[in-house]
Amino acid sequence: MQEIKRKYVIPGDKIIEGNYKPLMNVVKSGNYLVSTRVGIAEAGKDGVKVIPLSGVYIPRVNDLVIGKIIDRSSLSWDVDINACFFAHLPAQDVFGRDFSPAKDDMGRQLSIGDLIIARIVSFDRTRDPMLTVQDKDLGKIPYGEFIKISPTRVPRLIGKRGSMIQTIEQATQTRVIIGQNGIVVVTGRDPDGLSLAAKAIKLVEEESHTTNLTQRVKSLLNVQDPEDPEQPESMNVSSSTELSSKQPQSSTESSTESSTELSSKQPQSSTESSTSNNSKSGSTSKEKHRNDNSEKSSNNGSNNDPKEKKQE
Amino acid sequence: MKELSLMDENGKRSDGRGIDELRSINITVGVVKNADGSAYIEFGKNKIIVAVYGPREVHPKHMALPDRCVLRCRYHMSPFSTDTRKNPAPSRREVEISKVMRESLEPSLILSDYPRAVIDVFVEVLQADGGSRCAGINAASVALADAGINMRDLVSACAAGRLSENIVLDINDLEDKEGDADMPVAYLPNLEQVTLLQLDGKLTTAQFSECLEKAISGCKLVYEIQKEALMKKYFGNEMELKEEA
Repeated sequence: MQEIKRKYVIPGDKIIEGNYKPLMNVVKSGNYLVSTRVGIAEAGKDGVKVIPLSGVYIPRVNDLVIGKIIDRSSLSWDVDINACFFAHLPAQDVFGRDFSPAKDDMGRQLSIGDLIIARIVSFDRTRDPMLTVQDKDLGKIPYGEFIKISPTRVPRLIGKRGSMIQTIEQATQTRVIIGQNGIVVVTGRDPDGLSLAAKAIKLVEEESHTTNLTQRVKSLLNVQDPEDPEQPESMNVSSSTELSSKQPQSSTESSTESSTELSSKQPQSSTESSTSNNSKSGSTSKEKHRNDNSEKSSNNGSNNDPKEKKQE
Repeated sequence: MKELSLMDENGKRSDGRGIDELRSINITVGVVKNADGSAYIEFGKNKIIVAVYGPREVHPKHMALPDRCVLRCRYHMSPFSTDTRKNPAPSRREVEISKVMRESLEPSLILSDYPRAVIDVFVEVLQADGGSRCAGINAASVALADAGINMRDLVSACAAGRLSENIVLDINDLEDKEGDADMPVAYLPNLEQVTLLQLDGKLTTAQFSECLEKAISGCKLVYEIQKEALMKKYFGNEMELKEEA
């Protein structure tokens, strides 16, 4: 294992002297590597990076984000994804390639104010982010409790391999959808569970930099067993199907296949055949998203939590 | 007559400070919940609140730059910040200070990281006592760091001036009005670069060098306070990260 030196830094602080590779939030100044953000610097053999503790969300390709539809043109929706740019969701993405602005009514699928979970398919210095909902578990979020947290706290809320969020979900009997952009939606039947989950999420946000956070969250949620085994699948299934029953139906074949598990309660014959194995795939795909997010964040400094490694 | 009121025979200034002494400085980070970054500074009797928003979408859109971020700065004095009511409309002085503040902060920011976006810095002076532009720059720099904007260095600012033959550090309102020269300086302490240098008054070459040197030494003292304020917000009183086994 490589040796890692960590220290607290603010902009302008010299992290290390020598011929290291600047990775994230680090610039070279003379023979020194200098931090550009407030955060925790990590110097390893492969390079030097600073895990920031503050900042707005900067979109990245393949990020899963939760956004609000704020406007509609004849060919796309504008989505507020809590970043410095509004994202675009092309109507073709929802209606399929044969979308016609004259024939299809965009308001039937998504209207202004709707919340969607989407993936960023493209973004660079010259263009605004482009979204897609053509994937498992993506699309309109019909209902839920909306919570906004700092995007830098997202990896901490997810926890290592989704541990933190699993704890919250299990203890409160809710489902928590997390966007990399710091928007969280909690769904569930029990209002007490919802408010408890919201309280736990706020606790994670406020105290993300402190040690023993997992224990404090568990004590807030009255969870006794520190090492909880796998999440019970039944809970996930009910919440995911519940959520999916109001998902927008896709008309194309390609999208039908990807959204089968989301639309399990839709009266469409093509989807019925696949509903039998929903229970497994529903939870695994959710897990996959979280693991994706968690891994991505740990690879990329901009949304990482500094003390995740240290505390877990 | 003038010297007598500004400095006594023991070398003490009108407010009891020595010639190399700063006023008391207190910085609090993250005071405006709705802003992306914010800071409140008490620099002697100056009380200033700074809020930073961004990077965010530029409105009007034609102001956006394709290769970098736009920095907008607004320095404003509240009507109640001075002894006689100040008209809240932007004055010539405020427009000018907004400009010099923006130009002093710009070199510290890596604006090319956020093309087509804007960063807004709002500096609101709640109470003014001379040197408010320096205090504003100090708070704005901390607020920008709090907003998580990529910066090469913090910006620290401090003024120096001349009272008769004495070059003094950090001049206050009375010394600004009655003194012989006032020189605000903004400085990047780690990069050792000056980003703002203004001079109101007359100095000889030797006095100018001494004044600049003194202002820079003041900036370095201010930097330590800025650093401490940021560290306190993000890491508590822990200045060093303790490695776990």
